[in-house]
Amino acid sequence: MKFQIQVLAAALAIGMTGTVQAQQNIFKIGAIQYTTNSKTNGIQGIGVPPGADAETGDATTLLLTYERLFTPNIGVELVIGIPPKIKAKATGTVAFLGDDILSARNVAPTLIVNYHFGSEGDRFRPYLGAGINYTRFTDVKSRLAPDVKLGDSTGLVVQAGLDYAIDSKWGVFGSIARVDTKSKLVAAGSTVLTTEIDFRPVTYSLGLSYKF
Amino acid sequence: MKLFRSLAPLALAAALLAACGGGDPDVPGSGSPSGAPTTPGSFTAFITFGDSLSDVGTYSPAPAQFNIQGGKFTTNGPTGTVWVENVAATLGLPVTPAEVGFDGQSVKCPAALQSTVPAIQRSCTAYGQGGARVTDPNGIGRDPATGAGALTVPVVTQVANHLANPAFGGRFADTDLIMVYAGNNDVFVQFGTFAAKAGQIQAQAAAGQITVDQANALLFQAQTEAQEAMKQAAIELATLVRSEILAKGGKYVAVMTLSDIADTPFGNSAQVAPARTVLTDLSRIFNLWLRESLTGQPVQIIDTFAMFKDLTARATALGFTNIALPACDIGKIATATANVITDGSSLFCDGNLLMTTPLQADANTWFFADSVHPSTGGHKAISDAFLAQLRAFGWI
Repeated sequence: MKFQIQVLAAALAIGMTGTVQAQQNIFKIGAIQYTTNSKTNGIQGIGVPPGADAETGDATTLLLTYERLFTPNIGVELVIGIPPKIKAKATGTVAFLGDDILSARNVAPTLIVNYHFGSEGDRFRPYLGAGINYTRFTDVKSRLAPDVKLGDSTGLVVQAGLDYAIDSKWGVFGSIARVDTKSKLVAAGSTVLTTEIDFRPVTYSLGLSYKF
Repeated sequence: MKLFRSLAPLALAAALLAACGGGDPDVPGSGSPSGAPTTPGSFTAFITFGDSLSDVGTYSPAPAQFNIQGGKFTTNGPTGTVWVENVAATLGLPVTPAEVGFDGQSVKCPAALQSTVPAIQRSCTAYGQGGARVTDPNGIGRDPATGAGALTVPVVTQVANHLANPAFGGRFADTDLIMVYAGNNDVFVQFGTFAAKAGQIQAQAAAGQITVDQANALLFQAQTEAQEAMKQAAIELATLVRSEILAKGGKYVAVMTLSDIADTPFGNSAQVAPARTVLTDLSRIFNLWLRESLTGQPVQIIDTFAMFKDLTARATALGFTNIALPACDIGKIATATANVITDGSSLFCDGNLLMTTPLQADANTWFFADSVHPSTGGHKAISDAFLAQLRAFGWI
């Protein structure tokens, strides 16, 4: 929770010094693709052969963001999306168990402080941001265990993006982000399996923006 | 003010993020029982429920017909006591079999029929029966169709029989020391089922009828089914402890986990070798769910899995010279029983039937009597370890 407080403090500081500037709101809507490069610390449990592992797949969903600019260059952005369904397949010595051994939806609100390069009125404005992501997994299911839980994750996020202004209100954007998402998994069936999944997702977003 | 108002949604968002923190999920089986007594009991009865390890002579008529001084699953003889008898002797309490019989014929509490001494009449509190399972009446050695062979009264019925004995008033008492040690035969049954399936799967794979991946998936499924059955047995045992022992007055209640059956001559045999870890894991699964289902309950768990590993590791220091071979001679038992008993069961083993060649067995320094049961010396080591636990609990 320390991170959020720091983000807020930063936002406050920015706001304090930038009160003379006109404040702006930006809404963005688009598609976001999660490409996970997941790693686990191995799957532990009674009856689990050594070398048992799993790997998560990619997912695409709808993205919504709201950003408030406190200076012409600095804004705080809240990113939400329709929770995508992420699936996992068995790998390593248990690859014979096949695909789709676990599925979950991740609710992942993210708060980012962005620095926008250039100045208001520029057609192209790149931006860099850093913030915090909170991920909660819902709808966790496995055909191997009736009772599966994934712990919540709080982690840093960094992003780089580019805004293109079509006119003074409308624009298009693209961004890429790297999120720290780690979660402890506990699956209870006849045996109890535990692992920690480091999702290491990179997200690619593309969409429309509206400024007012 | 405008600044603060404009920041309000962000502050709210941050607060919501912070509030969501649910942390890591609980891992079943990582809890402990709690609330068992910590002060010594004034025991007047030592009540044990279980299987062959805790059997003090249920089947004594069976070996007697061959003129064998058997009847217990150990190296029988004048000093061939099992752990239940050893603990009872330390406590100064008499114990006798709760039921004696074979082949569908049995007598409950024979001590009460043979004595007028009240303490002896109340001594038939050793309920353990060879072959008994947690709830399934068809244990090992019993013909399910005819009821012939071993009685294998399951632990759930053993407890019901105690509650039905008018001498104990339908309840357990503060003065009872109660020990529950069951599930070994559920492991044997589930392991046998798994091994049969595994044999078929391997034959199909060898004949090219299924792929290696399909064979692995089927083996995994067979293992999962065996584990599921052990989970079920553990939950049933824990439920029995809670609803029929604790809820009915049991105060000093110790529940044993299962040891690693792979560490027996049976577990180390060539035919078990390919599935040794499956055998080990059946005990571990049972222990996991037993512990989970007894979490927060006022009992003490005695973890025989760790305890037997420790006994094995310290075997030489404890005076054992052989922990690999059964002391009872399979050939001698077969001869003495006119080839009725060909598996070397220690139920039919006495001092005359110990191995003399190629090695000279000893009932005290060899750990095992047969492929799974401890010798007199083995039982002494186990009862010493149990007594140490009872002392550590502050109960004796």
